[in-house]
Amino acid sequence: MSRQNADAIAAIATAQGRGGVGVVRISGAGINSIAMAILGKLPVPRHATYGDFLDTNGEVIDQGIALYFAAPHSYTGEDVLELQGHGGSAVLHLLLQRCLSLGVRLAEPGEFTRRAYLNDKMDLAQAESVADLIEASTTEAARSAMRSLQGDFSSAINGLVDDLIRLRMLVEAMLDFPEEDIDVADSSLRDNLLKKIQIRLEQTLVTAKQGSLLREGAHIALVGRPNVGKSSLLNRLAGEEVALVSDVPGTTRDVIRQAIQIRGVPLHIMDTAGLRVSQDEVENMGMARTHQTVRRADLILLLLDATRGCSAEDTEIISSFPSEIPLLRVFNKVDLLPDQAPGAEGIFISAKSGAGIDELREAMLKLIGWQNQESGTFIARERHLLALNLAHDHLEQAGMLLNQPELFAEELRLTQQALNSIIGKFTADDLLGEIFSRFCIGK
Amino acid sequence: MKFPDVFDVIVVGGGHAGTEAALASARTGCKTLLLTHNIETLGQMSCNPSIGGIGKGHLVKEVDALGGAMATATDIGGIQFRTLNSSKGFAVRATRAQADRMLYKQAIRTLLENQPNLWLFQQAVDDLLVEQERVTGVVTQLGLRFKAKSVVLTAGTFLSGLIHVGQANYQAGRAGDPPSISLAHRLRELQLPVGRLKTGTPPRIDGRTIDYSVLQEQAGDTPIPVFSFMGNAAQHPRQLPCWITETSERTHDIIRGGLDRSPLFTGVIEGVGPRYCPSIEDKITRFADKTSHQIFLEPEGLTTHEVYPNGISTSLPFDVQLELVRSIKGMENAHILRPGYAIEYDYFNPCGLKSSLETKSIAGLFFAGQINGTTGYEEAAAQGLLAGLNASLQVREMDAWCPRRDEAYLGVLVDDLITQGVSEPYRMFTSRAEYRLQLREDNADLRLTETGRKLGIVDDARWQAFEKKREAIAAEEERLRRTWVNPRMLPDEDAQRVLGKSIEREYSLYELLRRPAVNYASLMTLPGAGVAADDEKVSEQVEIQAKYQGYIDRQHEEIKSAEHHEALRLPGNLDYREVRGLSIEAQQKLNQHKPETMGQAARISGITPAAISLLQVHLKRGFRDAQPAK
Repeated sequence: MSRQNADAIAAIATAQGRGGVGVVRISGAGINSIAMAILGKLPVPRHATYGDFLDTNGEVIDQGIALYFAAPHSYTGEDVLELQGHGGSAVLHLLLQRCLSLGVRLAEPGEFTRRAYLNDKMDLAQAESVADLIEASTTEAARSAMRSLQGDFSSAINGLVDDLIRLRMLVEAMLDFPEEDIDVADSSLRDNLLKKIQIRLEQTLVTAKQGSLLREGAHIALVGRPNVGKSSLLNRLAGEEVALVSDVPGTTRDVIRQAIQIRGVPLHIMDTAGLRVSQDEVENMGMARTHQTVRRADLILLLLDATRGCSAEDTEIISSFPSEIPLLRVFNKVDLLPDQAPGAEGIFISAKSGAGIDELREAMLKLIGWQNQESGTFIARERHLLALNLAHDHLEQAGMLLNQPELFAEELRLTQQALNSIIGKFTADDLLGEIFSRFCIGK
Repeated sequence: MKFPDVFDVIVVGGGHAGTEAALASARTGCKTLLLTHNIETLGQMSCNPSIGGIGKGHLVKEVDALGGAMATATDIGGIQFRTLNSSKGFAVRATRAQADRMLYKQAIRTLLENQPNLWLFQQAVDDLLVEQERVTGVVTQLGLRFKAKSVVLTAGTFLSGLIHVGQANYQAGRAGDPPSISLAHRLRELQLPVGRLKTGTPPRIDGRTIDYSVLQEQAGDTPIPVFSFMGNAAQHPRQLPCWITETSERTHDIIRGGLDRSPLFTGVIEGVGPRYCPSIEDKITRFADKTSHQIFLEPEGLTTHEVYPNGISTSLPFDVQLELVRSIKGMENAHILRPGYAIEYDYFNPCGLKSSLETKSIAGLFFAGQINGTTGYEEAAAQGLLAGLNASLQVREMDAWCPRRDEAYLGVLVDDLITQGVSEPYRMFTSRAEYRLQLREDNADLRLTETGRKLGIVDDARWQAFEKKREAIAAEEERLRRTWVNPRMLPDEDAQRVLGKSIEREYSLYELLRRPAVNYASLMTLPGAGVAADDEKVSEQVEIQAKYQGYIDRQHEEIKSAEHHEALRLPGNLDYREVRGLSIEAQQKLNQHKPETMGQAARISGITPAAISLLQVHLKRGFRDAQPAK
């Protein structure tokens, strides 16, 4: 029963949260083309290869070590590629998304291990413990699924599926029973239902993203010119000494990550090397990295010196940021101002005294999309978001196929298939049951 | 006495399942015996006089693609042909025909009598000969013992049949035929899982007493559709219309007044009836706010006045039947030729079958048709063909053929039966097929004829015609792919007329054909498009394939990713109580079903992906003989 190279699966192999190194592991068929797409080459087996991890547009997501294990000499017995990058979860998720975009499937709990013993990589005793492991992980999965399926998430998804079933019932009844009066295709009923489902699905997606935010957090790049007080602010927000603080410009040369929580939302703050024109080689490398960090952030905090205002150099720095990422101007050192702050746009704080910090926290939450509707939020998992996005795409496609009912029906089937992965099976026979309870079929 | 000849395959029953089973087995060269209690009723349409419809027509085309008889007999006996859903896409279009009962039956009888290797014999079968859990033959009413290597049982609704008209009931097979009581007893003794189902028919009307002048006529399609791949419209006899009428409020009052004497509502009938084919008393009770129900008046033939009023199946007492019929528009003076009735009958839980339709408990014994809990001629014929074929393959010591869900409605049918069981008579619908877009009537031949040829049930004439068509399709598709349309050479008015807009770069004709707004015929009028295919079936197929290609490619991906899992064999002797971590419910379900493959196991209701994972672990540990299926 050799099953070398089943369909490729991927997952983040390191624990959730901060860590120096994060690993995305991919196993299965087509590793070669995946490696070509992400690394530009297939690494030599069993050799550590340093290089860039590229996104769809060939831009660098991260840099790190790639390890390739050719079948059967790998953990799973299949071709395995490990990408070891920086530990930040945003980067790892980008890398994982990149793999998924190449047709790789998100691994189920315990799937790597399962493949390992299926390919004779483990002996009987180990296999016994794997059974326990899978049992445990499915129990855990079931428990956590139950948790997230309680309350609002459950009612949102169930409401959505109920409407979807009603819509499918209309369409399927029309296709399977053309002679039963119901062929008078009630297009307004169909269109209204479709519209309703689309709106509901979009709302659910927004809510799910809130949940995802609550679970995964957001990434915030803290940038500004040297010695404007970035590290002090970071310390103020974090409440502990994490970055070197000194009066010598350019002390922080590496990107320093610090996780803080604001009203339960985890924020990964990336303190960067100051931005300025410098002859110092080491510092220049630091600034290059700052720019990379900024490109991956959900929010850019630009820290300015309130005593100097927004200078021409600052404006130049701002123009170098990607315009699609929200930018928050924060003026530090208001304690050094003689009177009230000047009338510039932004938040005014003192990292030293703590003035304005609460206001800053609120503004950050708002800009990363937190809607402060805790009651309606549920913990969405990556899997749920993927399923909802897939459902959304199929539903959108369905909306364009109203005149081809069998294709319309196919897209609805795929929409439901995506949602089924969240709420469980719904079979063709269940659908027929709905039809028969609603329509009098009798020819 | 022991009959001197030994057969390869014995088929018990001469309905739609039995005849297809016997013909398929004989086509493979196996010496086949068809045993029926009455040769006169071979190929009898005992219920409504029509063949095909949505989902059912698909099955008929599949039976035909495998060399079966049903489509050919319908072409010979059909008195009205229609393509249903013709305004919708090809995947859901289906052929249906009203058939003259006599002509249909005669066509089947002729095919049976002229089939080499097939022997007919009239005797009711009372018992099965079983030695060491293997069937070895059958015993008839007279005590004749027939020996065979395999037996296909197609006893239909005859097993312990009980007919109800009002509060009167009597033991019977189909109207007028005797039931198979002793066989049913014998099968019960074998401890196969048995259940009870119900079906019904409407009262039949003398057409001379119907006032057609007040009714809406429903004519057949022109040009007249043809059912069989090998058929043509010239085979069709004279065509007749159907007529449409409806029940009234008064009809419903009359029915309500008789409910206290209805066996259905007074608890006399235990069997479960189909939800999609309810009796008229069921309809007006469940859909009480509906003030009228459609009735289709279907002619039973060219040489009879008998009319089948489709839509008023009933088991109400005769006096209520008469009154309700006469309350319907156009039937005020109607004479009932035969009363309507409900029939209850035994069926065997199909979870006890392999996907070859062989019973799991008795080797060499195959079940097909209504005995498995299905309803309909088409469902029966399809199973019959499969069971007859697999019985013959077993005799020839070859692997059984079990079509997949993405290959044929026949695959969907059998897989649904054996993994889900039945709780009501099972009828095919296109919504049961997740791969509906590829399981079409128009490509039944392309899906199945090659397989049928390899298995020995497709004759030379059909094979040659098929190969010719398949080659022509490939050639035309290739031509369209190689013919390019250049924007500079394309006059703007032609682009507007055919494509709806001008093109910005060079396209092949095939790419253009894939666009939703473009059709083959108009595409061929573009300058430089070349000569169109002369066979309409060929150009139609090229066009359909082009239109659905994106969807079908995606479905192929879906199928491919599940392939390994789907075909992974499960050992028949596996005791699921030994699988660590499985819930009690999953253990019981799996032990009851004994699925043949991992794919089947996953489709059993209540079996979760986690259970499947645990099963994989267990297999790896204990059953190293597990092999992917062929």
